[in-house]
Amino acid sequence: MNAGFDHEWTLAELLDDGLVDRSARALAPLLGGDVAISHADGRIAWGLLNAHSRGEPLIVELEAIGYLHSHSASPTALRAGRDLLLTLLRAQMRFKMASTLHLEAVAEDFESLKREHARLLESESRYRKLSEELEGRVRQQVAQLQERQQMLYEAEKLASVGQLAAGMAHEINNPLGFVRSNLGSFEKYLRAFTQLKAQLDPPGQAVWQTLDLDFMLDDGQALLEESARGLERIARIVADLKAFSNVDRASEEVIDVNTCIREAAQMLTTQQPAGISLQFDLLPLPGLFGLPGHLNQMFFNLLRNAQQAIIDAGRPGEIQISSEATEAGIFIRIQDNGIGMTDEQISHAFEPFYTTRAVGAGVGLGLATARNIALAHSGSIQLRSQSDLGSTATVFFPTPP
Amino acid sequence: MPDLSGQTLTFKLVYYGPAQSGKTTNLLRLHDQLAPAMKGELMTMETKDDRTLFFDLLPLGFRAPSGLLLKFRLFTVPGQVAHDGTRKAVLSRADGVVFVADAARNQESNNAESFRSLAENCARVGLDFEHLPLVVQFNKCDLPDAVPEAEIRERWASAPWPLIFSVAIHGQGIRPTFENLLRAVYRRFATEFSLAETHRLDENQFVAHTLGQP
Repeated sequence: MNAGFDHEWTLAELLDDGLVDRSARALAPLLGGDVAISHADGRIAWGLLNAHSRGEPLIVELEAIGYLHSHSASPTALRAGRDLLLTLLRAQMRFKMASTLHLEAVAEDFESLKREHARLLESESRYRKLSEELEGRVRQQVAQLQERQQMLYEAEKLASVGQLAAGMAHEINNPLGFVRSNLGSFEKYLRAFTQLKAQLDPPGQAVWQTLDLDFMLDDGQALLEESARGLERIARIVADLKAFSNVDRASEEVIDVNTCIREAAQMLTTQQPAGISLQFDLLPLPGLFGLPGHLNQMFFNLLRNAQQAIIDAGRPGEIQISSEATEAGIFIRIQDNGIGMTDEQISHAFEPFYTTRAVGAGVGLGLATARNIALAHSGSIQLRSQSDLGSTATVFFPTPP
Repeated sequence: MPDLSGQTLTFKLVYYGPAQSGKTTNLLRLHDQLAPAMKGELMTMETKDDRTLFFDLLPLGFRAPSGLLLKFRLFTVPGQVAHDGTRKAVLSRADGVVFVADAARNQESNNAESFRSLAENCARVGLDFEHLPLVVQFNKCDLPDAVPEAEIRERWASAPWPLIFSVAIHGQGIRPTFENLLRAVYRRFATEFSLAETHRLDENQFVAHTLGQP
């Protein structure tokens, strides 16, 4: 049922008991003493009806909501009284409708406010979330910038070291060449001296003996051989330096990383001591755009380190090599159960010329070169190690954006 | 939904629109121009600056040949933006709406805003705006700054509602507006309340009785 401001108001709603009483009492003297008010359905609201009573309808809108009765009033007076009562009823109706509507409007406004409030809360939480997201993104970007800066710094450091290495390699190669050639000639000359001894007369033989030329010739030969080996080592170091500085850059192509790993492992096994086994777990990988020779070099360096770690541990061991492709990119893990590294060693591992080996046994360019190559392919290398349990090198090449 | 109780069927019709577009004037002129069998007094609640504070109410009615009493209660809403709560309460339970727009060019945005609030408020008070009997009246067409009729017609060409141009202050276009609304109301509710069959009222009789020209 409609209880809104716009329902049709009844006499009882418009005139409560007190108001009926007061208005009827006020009308009575005007209507000659007798007054009765009835509802639309005939029920008496005030006074009494008798057989002589006349009634006038109380029409506020279209239909009578009640009647004013009197048997003492003249018809004119009764109509005048009715009009007076109607004025009161209209004023009442106006007031009742307006106040009811006001309440409805206030309730509606309150509902609107609640809706607005809910919307504001929602938008506030949305903004808070957004601001948190933004903060997170800023933090992330700052971290990324710092990382990039660090990488740039290291790359520059490496580049300058690489330039130095390339220059040195070039400069050393020249004297190396002629020293090697000279030593060869000198060995020939020395051999010629051995033939001299047979040609000598006795006094000459005596001088030969006095000067101990037999020993000198033998030892000279040995000295030359040792020098040649020394030159070999210098040549190898120079080769390593050249590889490290990427001097002989080839052209890039799409590479199957697994193939590079197998080739590097193949090279390694030619100088593999007994007691070291390789385990492969290579999953199909997407092609990588890069320099295959350099990747071979990188894997070779990592594998050689793993091999060396096992040798250093002085026990048989195993190198596990696995590769896989994820959405993020290509992962290659080279894991050994060799001697392992300390945190201190790991922190310096990638620095050029850092080595744990005795002087002459290693230049300290293996990991530095490997990392250079990884960086050149937008990749990275991570080392994890536990002392005496082994190390894991993880190479990661991100999927190109 | 019209209220049917006993032998009385009551329609609530609401004049909606922006502030001072002429809603109350519409009711004043209707009160003067219409002569149905039953016509109540116009109850207005204007403040002294001619602004409707709560609503105006004009009751009209006639009795159908079947004995059914048909009542029409015409309300206006307060146009001021601030009175949206009151507007919503007055609009609730409406069976038909006249949207009174102000034809003045500088009132275009007010009209649009008010029309949007009509659609929105209909949804809020549970009225099916799409099927609501609605007539759009552009009032004050005689004023020099009024948007030309052709331009308005073109703009509203795709709208499904009858478009009436009026000068309410002089009583022009007031009856046609109301008549159009009555026809829309009849078409919307005739079947439901069996107006033609049971109460022997066709559309023209329905309109003629309400306007007072049987």
